[in-house]
Amino acid sequence: MGEKLSDKNKYLIDMKEGEKGTIISICGGQVATKRLMDLGLIPKTRIKILRKGLFKGPVEIEVRGAKLVISRGLAAKILVEPI
Amino acid sequence: MIEKKKLTIALAGQANVGKSVIFNHLTGLHQHIGNWPGKTIEKAEGTLFYKGHTIDVLDLPGISSLSTYSIEEIISREFIAIQRPDAVVNVVDGTVLERDLIFTLQLLELERPTVIALNMVNLLKKKGIEINFQRLEKILQVPVIPVEAIYGKGITEILEAVIRLAKTEKPFKPLKFGKEVEARIEKLIQSLKDAEVPYAKRWLAIKLLEKDKEVEKLVKEKYSKKILEEAKKLQKELEVIYKHDSSFVIASERCLLASRIAKKVIKITEPKKISFAERLDSITSHKILGYFVMILILGTMFLSVFKFGDWLSSVLENIFASWPEAWEEVFGSSLLSSLAWAAAESLVALTEIALPYILPFYFILFLLEDCGYLARIAFLVDNLMHKLGVHGKACIPLILGFGCNVPACLSCRIMETQRERFITGFLVTFVPCSATTVIIMGLVGKFLGIYWALSLYVFAFLIIFILGIIASKILPGEPVELIMSVPDYKFPHLKTVLSQTWFRLKEFLFIAAPLVIISGVIIKGFYLAGLLEPIANYLSPITVQFLGLPAITGVLLIFGILRKELVLVMLSVLFGTSNFAQVLSPVQILTLTLVSMLYIPCIATIAALWKEFGWTRALGITAFKIIFAILVAGFISKILLIFW
Repeated sequence: MGEKLSDKNKYLIDMKEGEKGTIISICGGQVATKRLMDLGLIPKTRIKILRKGLFKGPVEIEVRGAKLVISRGLAAKILVEPI
Repeated sequence: MIEKKKLTIALAGQANVGKSVIFNHLTGLHQHIGNWPGKTIEKAEGTLFYKGHTIDVLDLPGISSLSTYSIEEIISREFIAIQRPDAVVNVVDGTVLERDLIFTLQLLELERPTVIALNMVNLLKKKGIEINFQRLEKILQVPVIPVEAIYGKGITEILEAVIRLAKTEKPFKPLKFGKEVEARIEKLIQSLKDAEVPYAKRWLAIKLLEKDKEVEKLVKEKYSKKILEEAKKLQKELEVIYKHDSSFVIASERCLLASRIAKKVIKITEPKKISFAERLDSITSHKILGYFVMILILGTMFLSVFKFGDWLSSVLENIFASWPEAWEEVFGSSLLSSLAWAAAESLVALTEIALPYILPFYFILFLLEDCGYLARIAFLVDNLMHKLGVHGKACIPLILGFGCNVPACLSCRIMETQRERFITGFLVTFVPCSATTVIIMGLVGKFLGIYWALSLYVFAFLIIFILGIIASKILPGEPVELIMSVPDYKFPHLKTVLSQTWFRLKEFLFIAAPLVIISGVIIKGFYLAGLLEPIANYLSPITVQFLGLPAITGVLLIFGILRKELVLVMLSVLFGTSNFAQVLSPVQILTLTLVSMLYIPCIATIAALWKEFGWTRALGITAFKIIFAILVAGFISKILLIFW
């Protein structure tokens, strides 16, 4: 994992507010990835960027009807296919 | 069948689902907050009586999953599996059912009788969500009770369901994962057939495939090592099929299962108009506006707490003013009576901090937490906090620290790992608390001007920032990234806020009182025996030669260990004047204030550090602070003397 499979794909951190997408991969540490999965963030999950903090993050997203804030560092490791 | 009259139920659920509101409804003030044996994790229990049943309710720590992520999670699942409560009440936020279902599925894997308390059903309509309760009940095969916790609706129904469940032990039918995964779970269950462990076999099998370290250890110790090899083989097979780590495969399966269930029971129609809560959110979490709102809210909070505190503490002071004389009249003026008064005085002083400052501080903070605002602050300051090696949630202890360092240290528990907790706790002790503020304002503010006082605050922030960067570099371990569920804004539930405030206040007194009283008596004893001045003279190479202060400040600093504001009180007692400009030069005033700000945490804070981090770390922080204060204050006084 790690490489962008197509030019269209973006890391979560690079997405704009209001943009929607599907998770492609999460390349965080074992613990962080597991925790995201326990909150329902797995590949193929649809998400929407609700807002971003000052200086590119943290990112607040909507996933499975719930709101989730993810630090800038971790958001840079989540690859998304925008739709 | 004999009806069981004594039942135990455990409340389980993720953060912000209204678990504590339900707990409060169930137990009222009959609750007891202690610690899990040998852990610094809180254990909240309570008892209630319902239709001839005595029901013990245990509030499991708020967790986001049952994988081995934190101590809280291990405690929770061990309790469910080993203590075998008669029922587990899973509190679920109905407005985010799909997310919460993942947790519910993990809970059901433990195979204890479970009741689902589907909370916040009153908000469903407004959010355009429709849930088919009967269908959910059928799929999960457990009772689903619609609950409106803040109005107390559905609480008795939960109890009825629990009692019904306890009467009929129903065979458990697990929800199935995908075929490939199921086949491997089945294989492991067969191999685990004779294992004598308190957990459900299927749960063990799932956790082995999930590479759960705790379960691997348990099975190895209690059963056989061979099973781990088999599990490894099966994990590999899954990894070949799915091209992902097998722990992720299981987690994904669970997510998929949750999605499938959600699709069957939830119908969502986008609400046409943006709700008030959403509008509020877009202002309070705004990139720029959000910071103004934060400063406004926190500023108002600090000002009103300090105003209220000032007023109440002067009222209390008036009440207690005549007590020393009354004490002497009753008990005479013997040595013993003086020492006993020192003990009583410590308690009085503790009350004078707890009621005027800590009580309103806790109240407002819990109010902000309950309505959902603290999560927004964590969002706003996350980037900044990462510079200090911690994430956004660390701002909560730091904010509390301005009121009093003790509750601030205790609240470091909200951080996920030991490393995060320690860094936050360490930094908290550098936040100027209300007592330090008294010194800063009473010395520097009064005699050198408000700008000098404010610059001391800026200096304190700078120190916290620099030490945070250094601590996060030095301490081993990876920084944890913020992953935080954000609750919707809601109207705070006053009863829950009040009971939280009350239990925290009690905790503060219990932790602080013993050490405060003991050290109060000891220092008074030293004082009466005339030992303080010799000690101060011993300290004079530091106080006089290095810091350039009068020798007698050594005595002040010893008293300051008890409570920081005593530095100021004793200063006027020992010099016989409250016009300190007569007895101290401007540089001395600044130096003394700096030392008081930075040196040793007060004894109550040391007690809190001790409780949270053990005595080596508590003493380590204390020693560091003393040396650090002397060096910084000495250095600055030398620089100031060049210019002044």
